[in-house]
Amino acid sequence: MLEILAILLCVSILASGILAVRLNNLMAAMVSAGLSSLFASVCYVLLAAPDVAMAEAAIGSGLSMLIFLYAIRKTTDAKE
Amino acid sequence: MSSILLHIAALLIAGSVVLGVVRLVLGRTLVDRVAAIDMLTVVSISMIALYAHVSGRFIYVDVALVYGVLSFLAVLAMARYLERGL
Repeated sequence: MLEILAILLCVSILASGILAVRLNNLMAAMVSAGLSSLFASVCYVLLAAPDVAMAEAAIGSGLSMLIFLYAIRKTTDAKE
Repeated sequence: MSSILLHIAALLIAGSVVLGVVRLVLGRTLVDRVAAIDMLTVVSISMIALYAHVSGRFIYVDVALVYGVLSFLAVLAMARYLERGL
């Protein structure tokens, strides 16, 4: 049962990675990249590495999203 | 009995992952995608809790706690961005 969940997670990582490259909207691409990072850290838990998963969740899903938000906010026009 | 319950929980989690990813891929607006990733965070917290119970290693529940705090912060930041704040 858990193997099916792990395969589902990996397929979702693949789909969200392709989506993050292909999307034109910057914010939607950032959300897709965040999903890829989130599911990667769940995969780390399934591979018995909870410390790596905690670091990945804190940096990949939390901090990099905030930094990307700040960068998109600073580099795009306020009217669009 | 307990094994049947765990199988049902895993099936429900798998179904919600599929539904959330479909919403994220198809998502018409940006708010749809943000709501989908918030739901997927909750689903992954429940997945980690289920795996902690199945494998008998209760240190994994700490990872689920950290997830809960961080998902709150990330979704809060995205909501503020959508309202032209930040």
